[in-house]
Amino acid sequence: MIIKILVSTILILSLSSCKKELPLDKDLTKKSYELINQDSVEAIFPSIINGSITVIGFIFTNCPDICPMTINNMYLVEKKLNDEGINDIKFAAISFDPERDTPEMLKKFAHTRELNFRNWILLTGEKPVINDLLKRFDVKAVKTDEYFDDNGEQSYSMMHTDRISLIDQNGILKKNYKGSTLNLDEIINDIKYLKD
Amino acid sequence: MIILLILSLLFFPEEKISIKDAWMRPASEKMTTALYFTIENKTGTADTLYKIVSGISERIEMHETYSEGDMSGMRKVEMIVIEGKSSFELKPGSHHVMIMKLKANISDRDTEEFILHFKQAGEIRITVKAKK
Repeated sequence: MIIKILVSTILILSLSSCKKELPLDKDLTKKSYELINQDSVEAIFPSIINGSITVIGFIFTNCPDICPMTINNMYLVEKKLNDEGINDIKFAAISFDPERDTPEMLKKFAHTRELNFRNWILLTGEKPVINDLLKRFDVKAVKTDEYFDDNGEQSYSMMHTDRISLIDQNGILKKNYKGSTLNLDEIINDIKYLKD
Repeated sequence: MIILLILSLLFFPEEKISIKDAWMRPASEKMTTALYFTIENKTGTADTLYKIVSGISERIEMHETYSEGDMSGMRKVEMIVIEGKSSFELKPGSHHVMIMKLKANISDRDTEEFILHFKQAGEIRITVKAKK
């Protein structure tokens, strides 16, 4: 009898240790942020994504190298999931450059990359609100290489956290990834884990 | 035979620098995008890419992507040196040509012309296709 109990205990412990745990557990629902989507419609975050597992990328649309890689990785995650019959995952891109990333620019950016608005939402907002939201995600973005062109228009690049985040159905931030070099299989396995 | 060889060298001189696998990302008017390619230097001496010209945008610069911790950014580079008998790859997440303030939309599979200026090889014209 004692041996049976011991074996059962070891089995239960070993099974529970196999259960995957995602590293973060940050409740995003405690504060709301008034954002605006690519159609200039108000979008309250995180209410807008509640109830869906959501992959969030942080970008600026004038970024030529890192952010397109991040968005392309999200696009590939969506495609792979769709190929497996998983169509209920949401994808959100939040701009950390609200000065230039108007809803119109976000929409152009999405069209160029053929993002499907059935699952995708692109978000911008007032600068203080965006800055507050970035702090919540521990994402940093600072202007670099500022200059004024011949027409007096300001141009700049940005140094920023290279980030994709995974949010569960209850608005809990579960894991962060490096956006531009995302391991597609890793995040897809994490998404499947959250779905189970 | 020797005459044929001389003629072929005269009329079909060996390329000193060749550009391979050039592509650019689609982007919208007024925005910024990137151009990537591999430079092969077949000569025994180094060459330098110092300027890229195209009517596609208001400004074109060479940049490199760099990381500090979990932050990433880009910085301008004035030139790219390709050592003799070697190649240099401009690729995502590394060196790239930054095309700023596009004059028109670039859609998937569009093509655009660029002139690359090398110190030794001179001007090399390339036609680049856009892809996602």
